[in-house]
Amino acid sequence: MSCNCENNGQQTLDQTIAKVDAIIGRIGTERNVIIPLLQALQEEFSYLPGDAIERIYEKTEIDRAQLISVSTFYSQFRHIPYGKHLIKVCTGTACHVKGATNVYDSFRRELKMDHDNITTNDQLFSIEKVACLGCCTLAPVVQIDEKIYGHVLPGKVNEVIDEFLEQEIQQQKATVKKTKSRVPGEIRLGMGSCCQASGSSDIYKELHKTSDELGIDVTIKSVGCVGVCNKVPLIDVVDEKGEITRYPNVKPEEIKEILHYHFKPGSLLKRLKNNLFNRVDTYHTDLTWNNVIWKPENERTGVINSFLSEQIHIATEGYGYLAPLNLEEYMGHGGFNALKKVVSEYRPNEVVKTVLESGLRGRGGGGFPTGKKWEMVATSTSPEKYVICNGDEGDPGAFMDRMILESYPFRVIEGMLIAGYATGANKGVFYIRAEYPLAVKRIRAALEFCREKNLLGKNIAGTNFSFDIEIFEGAGAFVCGEETALIASIEGERGFPKQRPPYPAVAGLNGLPTLVNNVETLSQLSFIINKGLNKYLKIGTDNSKGTKVFALAGKIKNGGLIEVPMGITLNQIIEDIGGGVEGGEKLKAVQIGGPSGGCIPANLCDVQVDFDAFNQMGAMMGSGGLVVLSEKDCMVDMARYFLSFTCEQSCGKCTFCRVGIRRMLDILDRLCSGNAVMEDIDKLEELAINVKKSSLCGLGKTAPNPVLTTLKYFRSEYEEHVQGLCKTGTCKDLIQYVVTDDCIGCTKCAKACPVDAIPYTPYEVHRINTETCVKCGLCIDECAFDAIKKVPIKDTVASE
Amino acid sequence: MQILINGKTVTAQEGETILKIAERIGYSIPTLCYADGAKHKSSCMVCAVKNTQNGQIIPSCSTVATDGMQLDTESDEIQQIRLMSLELLLSDHRADCEAPCSMVCPKGLDVERMLSFYDAEDYQAAYDVIAGAFQLPEVGCDSCKAPCEKACRRGTVDEPVAIRKIIHEVVDLFADKTDLGGKDKFNIDKKLFQSKLGRFSDDEKERLKETVTTKSSCLHCACSGKSDCKLREYSSAAGIKRTRYGLSSTLPVMQKEHVTGNLWFEQAKCVRCGLCVYNSTNGFTFKDRGFGMQVVIPTENKGNVSEKLAQLCPSGALYFSTKTPVEK
Ligand SMILES: Cc1cc2nc3c(=O)[nH]c(=O)nc-3n(C[C@H](O)[C@H](O)[C@H](O)COP(=O)(O)O)c2cc1C
Ligand code: SF4
Ligand code: SF4
Ligand code: SF4
Ligand code: SF4
Ligand code: FES
Ligand code: FES
Repeated sequence: MSCNCENNGQQTLDQTIAKVDAIIGRIGTERNVIIPLLQALQEEFSYLPGDAIERIYEKTEIDRAQLISVSTFYSQFRHIPYGKHLIKVCTGTACHVKGATNVYDSFRRELKMDHDNITTNDQLFSIEKVACLGCCTLAPVVQIDEKIYGHVLPGKVNEVIDEFLEQEIQQQKATVKKTKSRVPGEIRLGMGSCCQASGSSDIYKELHKTSDELGIDVTIKSVGCVGVCNKVPLIDVVDEKGEITRYPNVKPEEIKEILHYHFKPGSLLKRLKNNLFNRVDTYHTDLTWNNVIWKPENERTGVINSFLSEQIHIATEGYGYLAPLNLEEYMGHGGFNALKKVVSEYRPNEVVKTVLESGLRGRGGGGFPTGKKWEMVATSTSPEKYVICNGDEGDPGAFMDRMILESYPFRVIEGMLIAGYATGANKGVFYIRAEYPLAVKRIRAALEFCREKNLLGKNIAGTNFSFDIEIFEGAGAFVCGEETALIASIEGERGFPKQRPPYPAVAGLNGLPTLVNNVETLSQLSFIINKGLNKYLKIGTDNSKGTKVFALAGKIKNGGLIEVPMGITLNQIIEDIGGGVEGGEKLKAVQIGGPSGGCIPANLCDVQVDFDAFNQMGAMMGSGGLVVLSEKDCMVDMARYFLSFTCEQSCGKCTFCRVGIRRMLDILDRLCSGNAVMEDIDKLEELAINVKKSSLCGLGKTAPNPVLTTLKYFRSEYEEHVQGLCKTGTCKDLIQYVVTDDCIGCTKCAKACPVDAIPYTPYEVHRINTETCVKCGLCIDECAFDAIKKVPIKDTVASE
Repeated sequence: MQILINGKTVTAQEGETILKIAERIGYSIPTLCYADGAKHKSSCMVCAVKNTQNGQIIPSCSTVATDGMQLDTESDEIQQIRLMSLELLLSDHRADCEAPCSMVCPKGLDVERMLSFYDAEDYQAAYDVIAGAFQLPEVGCDSCKAPCEKACRRGTVDEPVAIRKIIHEVVDLFADKTDLGGKDKFNIDKKLFQSKLGRFSDDEKERLKETVTTKSSCLHCACSGKSDCKLREYSSAAGIKRTRYGLSSTLPVMQKEHVTGNLWFEQAKCVRCGLCVYNSTNGFTFKDRGFGMQVVIPTENKGNVSEKLAQLCPSGALYFSTKTPVEK
């Protein structure tokens, strides 16, 4: 096979070897550097070429057995060359419920990829499914190379491809420099990943361009994630008088008007003011823009204010005004005071005691008391200990850790330093998920800034506390969020969890005592120290203190990242913060905690957010993914979705997880395709109970939760599936598309159908050829007369 | 240190595993992924026991006893978990313990055994197998409807092995023999657990047609590692007839690979216990993850492993064979 891309086809062996040698020189030759080494190779060659691998055997301690074992375990590594551009279709939870599978199929159809090919014949595109791009509120989401597209409907796929290619061709226009008049005030623009995905970099460019054009010299500031991810791009304009006006969902073409409105670029333009005022208003009530319902500005701001009113910002303190990488500003708002206080006024065991008393529990899923874990590490006399910040965040519907790392890097670093001081550790590692390049970049920069200010390194802030931090990038394995698997991967092994005890707190990384804490857990610390125990203890319930960040997504009106006090009810979250179920549908259930969590039915949604309350219901706080499901969502499909995720992510070591989950999935597949019998439901339950009991690590022990909770609360839906009925029309094999007599013969569906399953018959009722129909749903989206319906196959058979 | 096993108080040594302690006081616990003295990591859960204080199910082969521990190694719940772990492993185990032809021969001829000697051109041995079952000079086949050829797996690929013809051919070679043999009759124990391979997929048929080119065209369905297979032993003891879960596997069936010396590897029978991986250096290794995880031996690494690994392997995946390779 020959490949035309410049990167991999025409390199001579010598060139390849020279490059590999340079990489080895930079990264090292020990066995434990294998993951960074392979990452660097892939960065260079875009996959792992055989020649490069052979060179590794020659030049490093890494042998063939280790290389095969590791490189095939992590999904990041590719063994075959890819096309020039990579399309990643998100199939995370939020995107799944919004129809991501259809989007994936559409791309394949549109790009004419057949069989199992993942690359187009012209080597232009390769396609991949990924679990959560971290922009769940824009679901379904697709990423092509670096560019993220939100709200991608199956019918819009060709437009997305065209737009991408168009962009490729466009040349960078030279920016015109003009003299600007300095005006007071500033413009704040959210630059988290979601924001960037929905075009804030375009807005950023536009802001600069337009202010140049208009000659307005106003401070344009990028701030971290603003939380209201479905309203982004969002800008706050602080005018001369210090008044803040918020513009959600801004578009580049609006920028000019907004700038004009707030900042008078010299008197000559003053007369335009009234004129423009009106025009701004029309823009904001324009109903024609894609996917977005526009409301007058005051109303829109209203929505956001209620979205924010129930929230408390601890982990996300500084929300909306702090620039992620501005250390001075962070310090100006009290940043690193907690650290300084701790190192100068507290003895380590006093810090541990404070954390114990605060009742803080781990936010990584399990809810283990943080103070207890610290105590375990602190009591060890080992001169060397580690603190690991777990930023692997593998839940396919959650992205709060990413947001915190991207937007509040200094707070996490501060938390880690406090943890290091308290436990007597001297080294820290940020373990960050492969899919979060921006988080890695920000943390790296933030660490550099801290080092310059002597907040990191030797004798921090003039004391004898020394601590340094490194970054380790994950390579794509959900199970590596599990602490022992995480440690195995840092050590250069496949991510097999180890049996505990011994706990990492006793023997962790390199056999040394290791504290593993979640990103969010660490972000709560500076508040506890700064504001004092009393203030912290007031927030939350008896056994769950403080706040929890959730990624609110799915069928919800105002999704996004929210930080709420423990003890708030799910209903409050959905109604008061989320604005209710999208499209006025009825709430069916809330899926909480991702693949380890469970579904809580609507009638139990008055439950308070609390570790133990969720556990009692068979769900789990988990990472904090909160997916709202409406009547239109199928619970059996939901269970199958999560199980297919855990099945793919199982490390494969132990029997119950490796084979048991597969056998559960077999049954769910049968249910969703109408091939199951009643006994299968009992068999599924028996398997679920035993996999939960007998798996070796948390992945297998929690994987059955989505099945067990849906069986508990929605058993009748399983029974219906045995009878061949999926009332929501989600399970494709159980439904077919039919045109009803409401059809006026407009031919739109026939044109929309990607596989020509609808003959073109103007002015006549159309018919769908069920043999060729791929059930993509494009015709339904297209029909203006609501004349196409999904009906159970069983029923049509019976009535015909 | 004192612990409680099934209600009995036992004194345990520091660092002693539950498995060792239980065995010491007479309880037998099955183990697959554990071998005495070898490096191992718990994975199979066939040795499951229950910590009755916290209700956790734990692998006894690697869990070290702690003071005051209370354990259950015998209850129905535990038996049921062990049974399920075996059944799950078997549902991913597409292999025959005994060859279908041998299973159905009404005269009790171990057809596959005979054919393996025939394919190794050891006709004397092949003759001896036949002589053990038949009252030579009468060839049993002459009064038989040959269910062996109907059951023959090769028949689902292309043509069944011409079993009767081959038997006659061998018998004829020794037609002038006076000692009619019949000393060693190889009995197949039909009471033992019988793993079944199930149907071949179309791709598998293609592959087998092209790769298995033995003299007789026999695929040699019988498991070469059956004599010391723990998986089969426990499954027999647990009375498993067939697994309750549909049979499916990502492993290639009937792919017999020569490793080194007399050591052979048949991947489809591997239970992924990892013993051969942990006990070789740059030899066997894992590949991929999850249900599709495999144990492989890269060609370049074959020289790095020892024949002794066959003794560690709890299944018939790694076995000794002195016969000529049946596959390229
Ligand atoms: C399959 C699996 C995945 C996990 N993923 C994560 C994760 O993405 N992030 C995380 O912080 N903890 C994760 N955990 C929990 C960690 O093992 C560990 O308990 C946690 O990082 C401890 O930090 P905490 O005490 O601050 O919660 C996961 C656990 C399991 C079993
Ligand atoms: S439970 Fe699953 S992920 Fe955990 S060790 Fe077992 S196989 Fe691996
Ligand atoms: S490995 Fe064991 S169970 Fe499998 S076929 Fe061979 S003897 Fe039977
Ligand atoms: S292929 Fe060989 S071993 Fe298998 S059934 Fe046929 S004759 Fe017997
Ligand atoms: S070949 Fe045998 S020893 Fe090796 S992993 Fe498989 S079953 Fe275990
Ligand atoms: S971006 Fe698709 S589920 Fe999160
Ligand atoms: S023998 Fe203990 S887990 Fe396999």
